[in-house]
Amino acid sequence: MILGLIIVAIAAPVLAPYPDDVTEFHPAERLMGPSVQHFFGTDRMGSDIFSRMLFGARITITIAVIAIGVSVLIGVPIGLLAGYYRNWVSDALMRVSDIFLAVPQIILAIAIAQTLGASIENVILALSATYWPFWARLVYAETRSALNEAYVEASIALGAKPLRVMVMHVLPNISSSIIVRTTIGMGGTILTAAALGFLGLGPPAPSPEWGRTIAESREFLPEAWWYATAPGIAIFLVVMGFNLLGDGLRDVLDPRTRRSTSD
Amino acid sequence: MSFITVFRTFAVLLAIFAISMTGTPTKSFAKSKFVFANSSPYDTLDPHVIYDVGRVASRLNMYDGLMRWLDNPPKLTPWLAESYDISSDGKKYTFKLRKGSTFHDGSPVEAKDVVYSIERILALKKGAFSLFSKSLDPGSTKAPDAHTVVFNLKKPSSIFLATVPAIHVVNSDLLKSKEVNGDWGGVWLSKNEAGSGSFELTRYDPAIGFQAKRYANHFMGWGDKYLDEIEFRTVKEINSRVLGLMNGDFHGTDGYLPQDQVKRLAADDNMNVMEEESMRIFYSIIHNGRKPFDDVNLRKALSYAFDYDSFINNILSGSVARNPVPVPNNIWGNPKDEKGYTFDLEKAKEYLAKVKQPIPEITIGALTGYGQTEQAAALLQNGLSKIGVKSKIVSEPWSVASKKMRDEQQMYDLLWLWRSTYYADPNNWIGEMYACDQVGARNNSWYCDPEVDKLLMEARVEPDQAKRAANYKKAAKMVTDDAGGIFVYNTKWFGPYNKKVKGVRFSPIGNAQEMRWVHME
Repeated sequence: MILGLIIVAIAAPVLAPYPDDVTEFHPAERLMGPSVQHFFGTDRMGSDIFSRMLFGARITITIAVIAIGVSVLIGVPIGLLAGYYRNWVSDALMRVSDIFLAVPQIILAIAIAQTLGASIENVILALSATYWPFWARLVYAETRSALNEAYVEASIALGAKPLRVMVMHVLPNISSSIIVRTTIGMGGTILTAAALGFLGLGPPAPSPEWGRTIAESREFLPEAWWYATAPGIAIFLVVMGFNLLGDGLRDVLDPRTRRSTSD
Repeated sequence: MSFITVFRTFAVLLAIFAISMTGTPTKSFAKSKFVFANSSPYDTLDPHVIYDVGRVASRLNMYDGLMRWLDNPPKLTPWLAESYDISSDGKKYTFKLRKGSTFHDGSPVEAKDVVYSIERILALKKGAFSLFSKSLDPGSTKAPDAHTVVFNLKKPSSIFLATVPAIHVVNSDLLKSKEVNGDWGGVWLSKNEAGSGSFELTRYDPAIGFQAKRYANHFMGWGDKYLDEIEFRTVKEINSRVLGLMNGDFHGTDGYLPQDQVKRLAADDNMNVMEEESMRIFYSIIHNGRKPFDDVNLRKALSYAFDYDSFINNILSGSVARNPVPVPNNIWGNPKDEKGYTFDLEKAKEYLAKVKQPIPEITIGALTGYGQTEQAAALLQNGLSKIGVKSKIVSEPWSVASKKMRDEQQMYDLLWLWRSTYYADPNNWIGEMYACDQVGARNNSWYCDPEVDKLLMEARVEPDQAKRAANYKKAAKMVTDDAGGIFVYNTKWFGPYNKKVKGVRFSPIGNAQEMRWVHME
């Protein structure tokens, strides 16, 4: 499913029956129901919804990948540092991430996106700024437990520098949790991005972003049911896909579950 | 009895049952109550700090003015005043108040209340303030006796009378007793009411709306058909308003719904959709004060790049009429022979080629929640991309856009919006939108042409309507020729009401939200 999404996103111009419909309109053909020419019907400007959904996938993937990437890049080092050292730096870092975690993500993201203005860049910024503490927390906890492992103690006893211990010994051993968290986080990020788009804080019209399309379609419900349904299904499939992928990865990567399944 | 007869009898019975279920109201009110679903929230009830169309109901139903605009085309009718007189130099307006009108607390409406009301508007500097700030000085309005008010204008103004309905009269004794730290009773009045209008406030919650009951002693008297109670409830979502109307939870809502919803309501057996030609023009402001939009060739190119025909006939299903000038088609002063611009990319390219300055990426503003503005912006963007002009669309809520449009730096390059009727005079449109003295206030185009301004200023003091009309016609042609904005259409009002609702009286000022003539059958 996820592979499908990525293929769709990359190959949108080839797959879309009307690749120009992102910016090209045919007002005479507006709000037509699903048909052979238009799988998901047409929207308020007479553009093909199916084609726009495919291009919307690109925006979604871009937002999710960059936002999660930035979150991981910020969150993981902070978690490692805070987990490795046991001093005021570690306390300070964790308290800051606690503060971020205490505020509901969506509220904070709305506040940031609203202040900076509606655009793809600002959605990415808002999501990155609100998602990194999840990784910081996770890595912190995992690092703390990894530090008690014999191989870490051994490398410290051999005089390894902190950086080397963190990167060479701790990180590889906690990477499976990070990967699983990242995959599941993708689903959440896409959902939040769609919510921001729905609220008008995402990329502006005539962008084919999914959340924004649902917001547009409200005016035409229930007559033009396909208008809201298509992006709704798209969001549902992608979020569920990432969650299933996350579950699957955990089953594969987690040594405990792997052992129990092979027994 | 054959099987078919049995079946038919059964079907008929079922049909009768179904009709009786939907046809008779399930609840019966001892008192008649009208519920209106409004898109804008009533965040304040103070009639002097707001002056918009979205929240007009609180002013029209709970307050009276000396004069009132009624019907369509709008007629200026004496209201609290029984007669008025204008001095020969056009600077002194004397109003005689009718006797016997009372505020909701029973005290009489007197000249001192009118004086207090205009002083309050001039002191608070909000709402309708900009209409009066140029013509009236604080302290200049006099009350020689309890039933006479004299307005002494700084200079003659031919629009003063048209703006008098905006002076909503408040109970001065009551407000003075509620005053805190010289706020003119503002804190109290934002949540309460001190009027003499047809309805008196019973309940108010900024998040929900307001309720009011009939004021039996209103000066106008009541016939035998009237509403006992009215409620104006804030319902932001269009679909909730439409579904609520169809279910009978609401009896009316605003008449500017998207055309697709109007069609849906018109098809419903319980609904009655009224149609009137309003005075509300849809256009795009062009920031004439910013480079390179000071070049008329670029503005003309923009005007030729918009697909008027598709927008009006496809997107709006032909529910509006093309209005190519900054004066509505259905008011005097409109140049009928002016055809304006058409969608013509060749001409657009021609004019674009004449633009000497570099053209940056153009920012097109639209209003969040008003789908039409976004669709117009997208359509213009599409036209511009075909002549090689890059643009981006910024959609922001009205609260944000209305602040930005008063700031020369923050204002978008273009902004799609409507210009509604505040008073039925061409000055309400072209006279404010393109007058030099309104730049940054009600002229958000930063357009200031000496010749156009001369015509507009003459028209503002000239008492003869025929001469004024000639000026407005000429000015409208000049602004159109100068492509001061992109003028698209004049709105029709499609007021959806429950079939039981009778007596709705539409006027472009207030959009039929004055409830005193309405009743339920």
